[in-house]
Amino acid sequence: MILTIRLDDIMRLTGPVPSRHLVTRPTGAAVRGAIQSAIAASAAPTTRLDFGAVEVIDFSCADEIVAKLLLATEGGRYVVVCNVDEHQAEAIDHVLDRQDLAVVALPRGGGPCVLGRTTPDLRAAFAAVLAAGPGDTTRLASYLAWSVERTADALQTLALRRLVVAASGTFTPLPLQ
Amino acid sequence: MRVIGVPQYLDDKGLDAVAEAIGGWPPTERLLFDARATKWASPYGFTALLTAGQGLREAGAETPRLAIPEAEEVRSYWAKAGFFKHAAEYFELHGKVPRRQPDRASGVLLPIMPIRASEDVHQVVAQIQEPAARILTGELNLEARATMRFTMALSEACQNVVEHAGTSGWAAVHAYNWRKRLGGRRVVVIAVSDPGIGFRASLAPVEAKKHGERWDDGRALEAALVHGTSRFRDPGRGQGLAAIKKYVLDWKGKISIRSGTARFTFVPPWDDDVPLAEGLAAFPGSQMQIVIPEQDGQTGGRADGRRGTT
Repeated sequence: MILTIRLDDIMRLTGPVPSRHLVTRPTGAAVRGAIQSAIAASAAPTTRLDFGAVEVIDFSCADEIVAKLLLATEGGRYVVVCNVDEHQAEAIDHVLDRQDLAVVALPRGGGPCVLGRTTPDLRAAFAAVLAAGPGDTTRLASYLAWSVERTADALQTLALRRLVVAASGTFTPLPLQ
Repeated sequence: MRVIGVPQYLDDKGLDAVAEAIGGWPPTERLLFDARATKWASPYGFTALLTAGQGLREAGAETPRLAIPEAEEVRSYWAKAGFFKHAAEYFELHGKVPRRQPDRASGVLLPIMPIRASEDVHQVVAQIQEPAARILTGELNLEARATMRFTMALSEACQNVVEHAGTSGWAAVHAYNWRKRLGGRRVVVIAVSDPGIGFRASLAPVEAKKHGERWDDGRALEAALVHGTSRFRDPGRGQGLAAIKKYVLDWKGKISIRSGTARFTFVPPWDDDVPLAEGLAAFPGSQMQIVIPEQDGQTGGRADGRRGTT
């Protein structure tokens, strides 16, 4: 089950002026507050933040909305940003990297990827979970042609960062659609 | 009354001369800014002059006089830039003030706008996008995504006023041919200025102890611009200036911030400014200038490698 939140809907309710631009910290804090309320009222473990109708997001707003939301989100809850364009992805990536955070993103017209702090191993393991589907460490190690230790390290890091779901030794992609 | 001669060319260096003539801040005498012979003002000059008027008001000084330019075309441009609309609030104006309303024709991308709260930053962002897209890609040969980056940089620059100055400020964006530099190449110039507490006072609680007696305006600017220091402990802070710096340097542009008695500049290859100018005459708050030049088809230019007109 997925909760989809359109950022433009939130902006209409919270913004100081009608706008397609997510700028300034107060705006970001207000939007994040509304998102947190919606998440708290939902039983869905995964929340998709839909940036499709947003034009500009600046660094301050990206920090307030995405970075602070990830820091405040409880265990067992997952956040995905979707329909992000190139510059939105750049801003989100920048603010998350600075704070050692990461999020799953669905760019406009592109496949799932990770924004924020990552490594080549984490990117490869993330891609493997998506491509190979749910599996345990041994299966994914075989898929990646890595050692079990290296695979386990990458998968556990992905799970800790809530970029994949880990349950009973099985690593599963986040539900994206 | 002390007469302050406004230079013929009121730009960043022109402000240094104005601050020198004021002779210390806050001044003890009533001031008369004499701009009758002034021929041209950059957005930096406009916003800095308004900052002087606002700063005097906030310091409790007597309302200064401003003798406006005598040349009709200069007065007309100052009106178009939105200067007189705001100056009337802080100066006793002397001279024939044109009735012309601020507009965006001929290079005024963003007439002077007050930055008092986050709502004003939203207004700036909403108003700059279309003219920025037109000028950046159409005249400066920047790639299409530069418009969003430019908008973000302007947003962050304006937010610095709201978040750190402790008072309101001013923003303006113009495009013009820069004859003094770059062989007359086209540039877009962002200016954001306020008469607030400045970088030294803003960062003192988190940074002054480290520097001891060496803590001054220059060290404060260096801490903010080079090391990304913010007065907030929140690790998400301090990213605005870092982002502005990254974008502008990608475009081979120039960023300078004057605060108190110092000015820190990231000097591009085409300029011969000094990175850190200290011992300038005191001026309140902080004044940021960003210069983005027409691209030469190399770094920062269009992905298709189309060359500029220089």
